[in-house]
Amino acid sequence: MTNSELAHGREHVVATVDEIPPGEHKVVPIGRYGVGVYNVRGSFYAIANYCPHEGGPLCVGRTRGTNVADESRPGGARETREGEFIYCPWHQWGFELATGTTAVKPEWSIRTYPVRIDGHQVVITA
Amino acid sequence: MTIESIQTEAGAGLRIDASAHVFFASDAELREYLGEPWASRGFPTPDVTHSLQLGNRYVHGSQPRPDAHAGSDPEFVGKVLFDEKGFDLAILHPMTVGVLPDWHLESAIHEATNRMLVERWLDSGTYADRFLGTIRVNPNDIDSAVREIHRWSGHPKIVQIGLPMQTQSPYGRPHYKPLWRAAIEAGLPIAIHNEMGQGITHPPTPNGITRTYQQLVGFQPLNFVYHLMNMIAEGVFEEFPELKIVFADGAIDMLTPMIWRMDTFGRPHLEQTPWSPKMPSDYLPGHVWFVNGALDGPGEVDFASEWLRMTGKEDMLMFGSSYPDWQTATIESLPSGWTAEQQEKVLWRNAAELYGIRVPANV
Amino acid sequence: MTQTEIPGTSTTTSVRVVDCDVHPTPRRGALMEFLDPKIAREAKLKGQGAENGLYYDPPDYHHSKAMRVDAFPDDGEFACSDPTLAFQQLVLDSGSDLIMLGPTSGGMGDTDEEVTAMAAATNLWQDAAWLNREDNWHGRFYGSICANITEPERAALEIEHWAGHEKFKQVLIHAEPRPSWGHPKYDPIWAAAVKHNIPVACHLGRGKHNLLPMSPVGFMTYNHDFMVTYSMLAANQVMSLIFDGVFERFPTLQIVFIEHAFSWILPLMWRMDSIHAARGNETGLSKEPSQYVRDNIWFTTQPLDYPEDKLELTRAFEWMQADKMMLFSSDYPHWTFDEPRWLAKHIPDQMRDAVMYQNALDLFGLPSQVPALPGQVKAF
Repeated sequence: MTNSELAHGREHVVATVDEIPPGEHKVVPIGRYGVGVYNVRGSFYAIANYCPHEGGPLCVGRTRGTNVADESRPGGARETREGEFIYCPWHQWGFELATGTTAVKPEWSIRTYPVRIDGHQVVITA
Repeated sequence: MTIESIQTEAGAGLRIDASAHVFFASDAELREYLGEPWASRGFPTPDVTHSLQLGNRYVHGSQPRPDAHAGSDPEFVGKVLFDEKGFDLAILHPMTVGVLPDWHLESAIHEATNRMLVERWLDSGTYADRFLGTIRVNPNDIDSAVREIHRWSGHPKIVQIGLPMQTQSPYGRPHYKPLWRAAIEAGLPIAIHNEMGQGITHPPTPNGITRTYQQLVGFQPLNFVYHLMNMIAEGVFEEFPELKIVFADGAIDMLTPMIWRMDTFGRPHLEQTPWSPKMPSDYLPGHVWFVNGALDGPGEVDFASEWLRMTGKEDMLMFGSSYPDWQTATIESLPSGWTAEQQEKVLWRNAAELYGIRVPANV
Repeated sequence: MTQTEIPGTSTTTSVRVVDCDVHPTPRRGALMEFLDPKIAREAKLKGQGAENGLYYDPPDYHHSKAMRVDAFPDDGEFACSDPTLAFQQLVLDSGSDLIMLGPTSGGMGDTDEEVTAMAAATNLWQDAAWLNREDNWHGRFYGSICANITEPERAALEIEHWAGHEKFKQVLIHAEPRPSWGHPKYDPIWAAAVKHNIPVACHLGRGKHNLLPMSPVGFMTYNHDFMVTYSMLAANQVMSLIFDGVFERFPTLQIVFIEHAFSWILPLMWRMDSIHAARGNETGLSKEPSQYVRDNIWFTTQPLDYPEDKLELTRAFEWMQADKMMLFSSDYPHWTFDEPRWLAKHIPDQMRDAVMYQNALDLFGLPSQVPALPGQVKAF
């Protein structure tokens, strides 16, 4: 990452597809806080590196699934949709990478950006 | 239950006393009801020095006779509650002797208490049509508690199941589930009230016993917080959507800050409790009620109405006198700043809805 | 109060934020040189093969260790073990001007003797590793005299030892031991604090078995329902302090509840006043209970609990007169960290200065002007 910010509101080539393998992410210097680009099993998502709760650096957090009740499993719960959520490194609030929302309180959402793959390039609009 | 027999002018407010306390007249009378082998056993009385009160346990003049416990005479209590205080109905809640180590003995005492309540207060006497009852069951003997609920659930005057506030483990724990199922099958709410006497309880505060009655009476009703938080996190209201809980010891004011706390702190913890997926406060409406306590409320302040509205407390609070306890609440001491609608809700609407009391259309 | 001169700067700036809850952690083994040799030897032996003992786990504990994940330094040591990183994240990046350190190691140990020894070692370590001229070159760190509440006489000696040190500004104890604080056995601690005009703060402690703090209705199930009940513990201690007459015995004593939340004090004040009025002052108080809260008790802002409609929180601040009893805190580096910029927005305008810094300056006797730091964020 460089210190120079990229311009807003247009398409940016932020990485090659190979640079961000499944399960990995890259933070690129777009906007005030940067944008995190995530590869979840081959699908790419981009989110602002900023948690709307108290302003934590969201992309320092861990991605994982979400837990659901399941009486057939030991302890009555299982993880589902592994890797599809980002959890803030400060308060562990989780958000769906694809939509930026949360099932508990949809009104608490993070900023997301459109991503497309152009050949070998990852392109986001931000 | 209908109260169409009650003389009420159109528009005049009803008054339901959501909690009046019932006692045996004496230890001897309890033993008569019990019979052997229990009658010869040793167990406390409802009043013990352990509760630290420097006198004034019951309101002045509440003893029907010098040898009879306050709250033990249906004729006397009926006269006070209905003729003098002007209530139209009262929900009776029997107090017993403590949470006893021998659960057989405890269950027998509860059974005797329920029989006494029904025979003497609900099925006979001048005021029988004004009294509704709470049966007491033993949470440390789930099988007999479920049997006792089934036994009385068909009785038209039984409107509630009573459980002690003091427990070995909080009411969210899974071993209580048969109780919740039985209550729902019977269509009865659960009322949780501090048990009197003494027994195998944890210390009454997180710091052990208190040195003053002030601290004890200040803290004990707040223990509803632990049960409520635990029941929410354990998903009890998710699994049993029809379960209705009444915290009958007052202290509703603590609900507002503690549910803010539960929601704010709970947001990230929901991943640990997928059996309770909503925000904690979402589980309050339709599940949780409170009886008003004499020590509750902000008093005569200009924000009394606003405070009652916060957290939806105006839909959960039911006036209860707790007569004949020294903390007997009076309608006159309720904040004058409540709206007319709030007063109606607290004085009868919330209770009528919860207990399925049908009222004449002209009220 | 003399301040360490920062080379090359001469401008000063007004303190705008005093953070009353920050947890420095010793690097691995760093306490050993300060620990009583017998206890140190036993701790080493007991520690062989012993690892995590935590239960009631915060979210994602195995990965987060209940910390702000970005507060772990690069050297593999624990969160907030590096004074330089803490200074960067708290003072420069978040805008906290003065920091009250409250090390949790001062309350650790499996026996009363161990806790007393750990408190003493933690105080020596704070002085040597955080409050020394090199690591505190900016003069922004202040320390706590850790004292073991379960051994009141020895706690009083520890207070005597450090009182008057220009950087130690409060005593730090626990609230969960039995009996409650109103018992006269604790009077030596209050007496020592009052003698030296130093406030006594309390952070969340954790007892073993049923001394957690214990719920009177049995064990809670999760970290969620367990942690919120620390407010209940504090409510109980408030009632004990007042009704057991601690403030009658020590009228100038100042108590600070750190991280026990605070909005519950509003209904608790009503409740205590009702009891007091209804029972006719059986406990022989000279004031209404709520007046002692205003005169003698403080609460830190973190955790800030709020309802769906934040206007209700604003109203609660007004009704409780929060500017008379609240002190800002972040709880850095714990995962429940409250950012000063975020927190300040929730305090009503007319109360913000008092809560964010002025109350703490007055209570702890801290300087209101400090040398300016280039690049420091302004919190509000």
